Amino acid sequence: MKLRGGYNLKIEGRPGGFLDKASLPETLYLPLASRSFNFSQICTVHGRHVVVGDILARDPDNYDIPLLSPCSGQVDLESTTGHVVLHELSGDESGVQIKYDDAKHAHKMGSADFERHKLLNLGAWEYVKDAYTGQTPDPLSTPQAVIVSTIQLEPFLVRGDVLLEASLQQFTRGLEHLQSLLEYQPIYLVLPKIKTDISAKIKEHIRGYAWVKTIDVPLKYPYDNAAILSRHIGLKRGDGFIWSLNADGVVAVDTALTSSKPCVERVISVAGPGAKHPLHLRLTAGYPVAEIRKRYAQKHAVAVDGGILTGQLLTDDIKGISVDCKGITFVPERQSREFLAFVRPGFDRQSYAPCFMSSLRGLFAERLTNSVRGEVRPCVSCNFCEEVCPAGITPHRLHKLIYQDDIDEIERSRIDLCIECGLCSFVCPSKIELMHEFQEAKGAIAKEKAAAAKREADAAQQTDSE
Amino acid sequence: MKILLQLFEKVRPVFEDKGVLSPMKPLYEAMENFFFAPASKTLYAPFSRDPLDIKRYMSMVIIALLPCVAASLYFFGLQIISMIVVSYAAGGLVEVAFAVIRKEKIAEGFLVTGLIFPLVLPPATPLWMVAVGCAFGVFVGKEIFGGTGRNLFNPAIVGRCFLALAYPAAMSASWIEPGSGLTGRLLQYVTGSNVEAITSATPLVEAKQGVFADTLHLAIGNISGSIGETSGLLIIIGGIFLLLTKVSNWRTVVGVLGSAVLFEAILHGVNPEQYAPALWHLFAGGLLFGAFFMATDPVSSPSTNQGKWTYGVLIGSVAILIRNFSGYVEGMMFAILLGNIAAPIIDEIVFSVRLRMLRNE
Repeated sequence: MKLRGGYNLKIEGRPGGFLDKASLPETLYLPLASRSFNFSQICTVHGRHVVVGDILARDPDNYDIPLLSPCSGQVDLESTTGHVVLHELSGDESGVQIKYDDAKHAHKMGSADFERHKLLNLGAWEYVKDAYTGQTPDPLSTPQAVIVSTIQLEPFLVRGDVLLEASLQQFTRGLEHLQSLLEYQPIYLVLPKIKTDISAKIKEHIRGYAWVKTIDVPLKYPYDNAAILSRHIGLKRGDGFIWSLNADGVVAVDTALTSSKPCVERVISVAGPGAKHPLHLRLTAGYPVAEIRKRYAQKHAVAVDGGILTGQLLTDDIKGISVDCKGITFVPERQSREFLAFVRPGFDRQSYAPCFMSSLRGLFAERLTNSVRGEVRPCVSCNFCEEVCPAGITPHRLHKLIYQDDIDEIERSRIDLCIECGLCSFVCPSKIELMHEFQEAKGAIAKEKAAAAKREADAAQQTDSE
Repeated sequence: MKILLQLFEKVRPVFEDKGVLSPMKPLYEAMENFFFAPASKTLYAPFSRDPLDIKRYMSMVIIALLPCVAASLYFFGLQIISMIVVSYAAGGLVEVAFAVIRKEKIAEGFLVTGLIFPLVLPPATPLWMVAVGCAFGVFVGKEIFGGTGRNLFNPAIVGRCFLALAYPAAMSASWIEPGSGLTGRLLQYVTGSNVEAITSATPLVEAKQGVFADTLHLAIGNISGSIGETSGLLIIIGGIFLLLTKVSNWRTVVGVLGSAVLFEAILHGVNPEQYAPALWHLFAGGLLFGAFFMATDPVSSPSTNQGKWTYGVLIGSVAILIRNFSGYVEGMMFAILLGNIAAPIIDEIVFSVRLRMLRNE
């Protein structure tokens, strides 16, 4: 598939190129549920003293991915619901060595799988996702390919060059470790199509690695998406897992396998039009959200977990940074209602369609708020969503099918190819929540399928018992 | 402006669910959101949105039509203003009535319909016919299909078609000789009783008798014809503005004009005595206006780019067919209606081809 669609938003508040380290807070709040994990199996008890790398909880639905203790401290399971709270923190990094006997998976793996076991239990596996489903792949499986992205095109998330600048050595070593887990499968390395210092350095480092294939990708959101890239390369959906990970994931692999240390530190971005000084921050999971808000957010700003296009609202129930957080985006709240907004010339507005005078002015970054900027209207088939859609599906048609509640036709129209990049909702002049509708429809289809599978299983059981 | 906003806040309870005027809530909301940007905030990702909304989107069409409106005032007189006002009033009334009954919001689509509709009428059309035609167009062309976004036909064309079929005599007696000189007809209010201004002939009617008007006149617009469609150059200027803003799609326009010109050029090449040159047909009648402003209506045209090509070529060639080989002098109206009918089918074909191509993904 050729890369198609896509759109680069110009919004004020991109994080700068420097990396800050957050100081150790007084308390850590580790959320038990995050966007991709649900650590429902608690492995510690209230009041226990834990050290770095101790397993606090596991996610039984995702190959027992562990929730690691990022610091030494006292466990508190009772004060905050849905969180493991750590008090009396100390930052001594006495990295624990995982013993082979401790392995929960030990009985089913040979020594060749030892490294995968280490990846899982030292917290590196949570960086690996399947390209098509976005789920955690089976750590013991062999993938059909690995896609490593060094770029991050969604606005306000951690920039690949910032990560790599600090840890290029670890990155290349991590690639070698990844290769050692594979048989003959290629590792696709995603690099920007333009020439940058960092991409030149990476190319220098990987010269001679026959198993690394580079893909040069134009810098247009969301061409760095693993599903889009897999389709671009021609990897088939049914041929097994495709491991996809970013630069931070590769560095985590290196941390786990070279120095056998738990991967508890991560780099997130704190950015967006509502951030005081957009920057990158090195911290551990569980860092209090309130602290970040106090230090880095402007007044009247909404906090979003993730980027502005695909993130989730950070509600007050979530007290700390989750283990799979990529960044916190602050979006200022809309303060006033503009008088006769739609007839204004709009020199200060950045729009997909050149309907504002700003199109005479060239590119600039606009300070956006969380206003919807218009009323919800019926779809007029303006086709903008179809133009920006990188997956090659037709969002406005899907919207109409969802309105008709025609689940079969929705499925036939390949809603499963939607990568939930959010561009359709962003550009829609009728302000239709396209992406949200698609997420709900996908959920409904999944539910229906599960119910059908259960019915079938029940029926089979019944015939068996007869 | 604060005072106005406070006023809106103050009267809001009257229109809320238990208020005295609660059925009129769509009207109140339309007024409030006309003056002040809506207060809604994003609840789902993406958390910021593009500034373009439907109001702005539709305003672009109105801006693009302004040169034609200005030219028509000069060529045909001040009655154009009252026709536009009547058209807006009649169309708006139907729109508001349906919004109130359906308890839905008033959509901005009628702002465009209300302006385009008079522009495709003869310049001396009686006001009551404007009102009837616009109301019929909005009602039958749009509302009974479910309102803006769901209509099968372009409402302005439906209204125009209704008038052409219901009152053919009155319509053909409403053409006006264009004004000339410094002020043109800018200071006149021409009606059907104004005998010396009325003419029965438009360039396309004359062409049937073998008399071809000067192409330059057609391009400038000092020629008899429907209100908005006489000045080819101004239509092209407005149309290109609309293409640049991405509100209309260039594929439709190129499809219509390209196929019409090509078809006519072939006809002219075969028999130059019977068929007019392609350039003449391009500027005559409603071909340009229809291509730039009516065929490009996003709702009633196919939504896919490949579909738009097909749709454009269909309209362009059918228009030329009707002009040259039928009793009707102008083919654009029926061609667009036919295109509207074909649009959903074209879309379905494009979709099924697309899904077939995605099958291996």
